[in-house]
Amino acid sequence: MKDTIEEKLKQITLKVTRKPDAEFSGQTTFQDLDADSMDKVQILIALEEEFGIEIPDEEIATIETMGEFVEYIQAKLSVKESGAQD
Amino acid sequence: MKPVKVVVTGMGVISPIGNSIEDFWSGLISGKCGIGPITLFNTDGFPVTIAAEVKNFDPGLFMGLKRADRAGRCAQFAIAASRMALEQSGLVIDDSNSDRIGTVIGTSGMPELLAEQAYIIDQKGANRVDPLVVSQYRASMVPAHVGLELGVKGVNTSVNSACASGNDSIGTALRMIRSGLADVIFAGGAGANVTPLAIAATARIGALSKGADPCRPFDLNRSGFVYGEGAAMLVLESLEHARKRGARVLAEIAGAGWSFDAASETSPVIPERVRAMEQALDDAVIDKSEIEYINAHGTGTKLNDAIETRAIKAVFGKRAYEIPVSSNKSMTGHLGCASGSIEAVACILGMNEGIVPPTINYETPDPECDLDYVPNVSRNLQYNACLSNSFGLGGQNCSLVIKRFDG
Repeated sequence: MKDTIEEKLKQITLKVTRKPDAEFSGQTTFQDLDADSMDKVQILIALEEEFGIEIPDEEIATIETMGEFVEYIQAKLSVKESGAQD
Repeated sequence: MKPVKVVVTGMGVISPIGNSIEDFWSGLISGKCGIGPITLFNTDGFPVTIAAEVKNFDPGLFMGLKRADRAGRCAQFAIAASRMALEQSGLVIDDSNSDRIGTVIGTSGMPELLAEQAYIIDQKGANRVDPLVVSQYRASMVPAHVGLELGVKGVNTSVNSACASGNDSIGTALRMIRSGLADVIFAGGAGANVTPLAIAATARIGALSKGADPCRPFDLNRSGFVYGEGAAMLVLESLEHARKRGARVLAEIAGAGWSFDAASETSPVIPERVRAMEQALDDAVIDKSEIEYINAHGTGTKLNDAIETRAIKAVFGKRAYEIPVSSNKSMTGHLGCASGSIEAVACILGMNEGIVPPTINYETPDPECDLDYVPNVSRNLQYNACLSNSFGLGGQNCSLVIKRFDG
């Protein structure tokens, strides 16, 4: 699951930032990709659509690296799944 | 003190008949029609299925792809045309002059995007609104994207007077340069209105050519205009500034005249069109006998073409019959806010090349439209001064006088 999330995040982020050949790893930051606030909102909306989750701005305000972002989405998805079982 | 002369030193176009000055001009004088079936959206159920779309436009040739994403189609056209105009002008923009270089663009931006996003809010909620819409839909963002791309920090504004916008922007820039507000202004128009909402609404009020009938200005069987899209940008600068940097001068923007009908949202009137033309002539300090060509608004609607013809006769009297009058819209479609600007480019190219572009699709004379419309085939004609009309739906009128630059 983690790999799928990372792959999707990579696809979306590199597409929005128009950097198809940029290096992308868990340590990559938004700053490394020259992503500004408008890019970030586009990435969030694409992720929300992709995974069917809500990502409130305040929850990700302190996230810097892609690795942290993957963990955040993973946590969101597990909450969603456990919610679905209730 | 001698009045400030304002000259053109660069031009660029993205048009339905070509995406460079060379292609646009060869299309125009060979009577190429840029009108065809709409490909930008599905026209099932639409009363109108044709438009003059820009073809094979690659924004990546003119700007970074991130800029292209944020600009949207309309501003992409404006940036591309501005880059071409800049290149031709030879102007170098740097810290020493950027605050004296402005941008004035006639445009309505891309209001269509609001309709799409309203649907998204309704269907998916407010948080799913596309953030790019903020930098794409507003008219003000069109000159903003051009200014960002070129790094020019002088006056930056959009003007909107509907279909008069393209002339309005050039006339406004003329006044700004004369007043000393700027040395150079990127002036022109941009429109990307081949969209479901624009086509549906304009068709509904009966202004568009019916079905798949092409635009046939001044013809007895004309049935309306055909939407086009694109941009035309001109580098306007004070003659003094152009001379100082040794620029090649293409033409002089000699005068502009404005008026408003104050009569009807949709039906034009003669006296105010006459006043726009006469004010432009006065502003240019030129005698009307010196005007040798008229680039008509010539939309192909029943009303416009008849009223414009009568207004031209009211200004020029019997001599109106001797002046060639042609409409580029038969080939380019109606570029909306960009139409006046692209027609100014045509006037300047025609003056420098000694050719008047034709009015194509002209088959049956209309007794109400009895001037020389240069039917179907371009004509060799040396001319030193011309008048270009643009009249907006709603009643805004703006005419320009453009002169050969004689040093």
